[in-house]
Amino acid sequence: MLCESCGKNPVTTHVKTIINGKLTEYLLCAECAQRLGYGNLLTELGCNYGSLLGEFFGEAERTDSVRCQCCGSSFNDIVRSGKVGCAECYHTFYDRLIPLIQRIHGDTNHRGKVPGGSMLRKPPQEQLSLMRRELREAIRTENFEQAANLRDRIKELEGGNSHG
Amino acid sequence: MDDLRENGSEQDVVIRTRIHLTRNLRDIPFPSKMNRTDRLTLVHKAMDAVEENKALSHILRYMDMGSLSKTEAVSLVERYLVSAEFISDCEGRGVFITDDESMSIMVNEEDHIHIQSSLWGLNLENAYQKADILDDLLNRSLHFAFDKDLGYLTQNPVKLGTGMRASLILHLPALRGSGGIVRISSNLSKLGLSLRGVFETGEDSKGAVYQLSNQVTFGISEQEAIANLKSIATQLIHQERALWEELAEKPEIQDTVSRSLAILQSAKMMAYDEFLQLASNVRFGISVGLIGDIRSDQLNRLIIAMQPATLTLRSGKKLTQNERRILRANQVRDLLYK
Ligand SMILES: [Zn+2]
Ligand SMILES: [Zn+2]
Repeated sequence: MLCESCGKNPVTTHVKTIINGKLTEYLLCAECAQRLGYGNLLTELGCNYGSLLGEFFGEAERTDSVRCQCCGSSFNDIVRSGKVGCAECYHTFYDRLIPLIQRIHGDTNHRGKVPGGSMLRKPPQEQLSLMRRELREAIRTENFEQAANLRDRIKELEGGNSHG
Repeated sequence: MDDLRENGSEQDVVIRTRIHLTRNLRDIPFPSKMNRTDRLTLVHKAMDAVEENKALSHILRYMDMGSLSKTEAVSLVERYLVSAEFISDCEGRGVFITDDESMSIMVNEEDHIHIQSSLWGLNLENAYQKADILDDLLNRSLHFAFDKDLGYLTQNPVKLGTGMRASLILHLPALRGSGGIVRISSNLSKLGLSLRGVFETGEDSKGAVYQLSNQVTFGISEQEAIANLKSIATQLIHQERALWEELAEKPEIQDTVSRSLAILQSAKMMAYDEFLQLASNVRFGISVGLIGDIRSDQLNRLIIAMQPATLTLRSGKKLTQNERRILRANQVRDLLYK
């Protein structure tokens, strides 16, 4: 396959970029990649201007072919800007981000809330009174489907308590 | 009668409690990678999430930041409903606000969604519970980005974890007078907390109003972070109060408090900075028992309402600086003159 820019040399670099919100991919030869500024990503990494991630990664990656499917970020983009591109980046670059995250936060894990799970970690009485409040609100706002749902869950919990 | 849950404790020192939750969606790039279309997509998703749930649509009203006047936007900052950074670029940004202004949701701030709940006085558990419920309701349709080891995913990896920032707005006139704030705040930073002036200009914090908040969000649960903040706040409250008795006996202090009240009750024009300093003195006088017939919570509300943009907005007119000063003096007099 030949370079999309010069049409002469073989393709060595896949460049993904976002233009007007659309992810666009270019296939370039090494020479054109350098000429068009895509080579800079690799050469500038030695000096990271005040970016926090950059400080942690003085010796940056030399290969930068993997890009996030969702936002198009490469790992070097993240290192350079100190900002992760999107939620999917955490997945794509998990193995490379973990050491960095450990250096920031120490060798520890998330200990807090799990989405939608806050009710589960509350003692049953508090959980019930919360759900009853939600139920009253659902009835008041005529959200009957939600109300029926809540009523069932409250019954379940109350039943669970009396037997347990 | 007010719902008791809405009224916090320690109101002689703690003005307000705030809880922030930072959340992001999975399928939209984080803000630094967002274009205008992404911002609009997110705004629409947030609107749908609110509309789909009557418990939310009933209490929240949406404001498009791009269509607000400068005065309206600045007033939102003054009332702590949005951050100052938020109004620096209003394009494609929006905020949902409850009528009582106790909860707001910023869309397209430094992360996708910023949930905020605030209550008067020291009231961390209730403020958290309100934010927590709002978070659960929004999550049903927005499905926030989360990893079981990393917690809520954020644009800046430093903020991973709970995404929760708890803050207390404290009035610490005696500690400030004693010069102890700098030492305390450097000690607190070692404990993962920050203490800084709210109305800050350079080194000076006007009105002795400070914000105490947690900095650590990773490897600690929301409940632990709140308990930690509360125990530090309690120590600060004790340190502040320990200085009061001695100060209240000093003629110079009594004189300052009386004069401050007299000016608030009789001035014809007043700049906000002057008001803030006088209100701070009077608030101190109330706390130590030198003034009996005015309540701290009246002053707390004035400290918010007398700010330039909010005052102008509520007057319903365009005001010159002089007109604002006259109106401010009038309103303060009306409320405090007995
Ligand atoms: Zn080429
Ligand atoms: Zn990405």
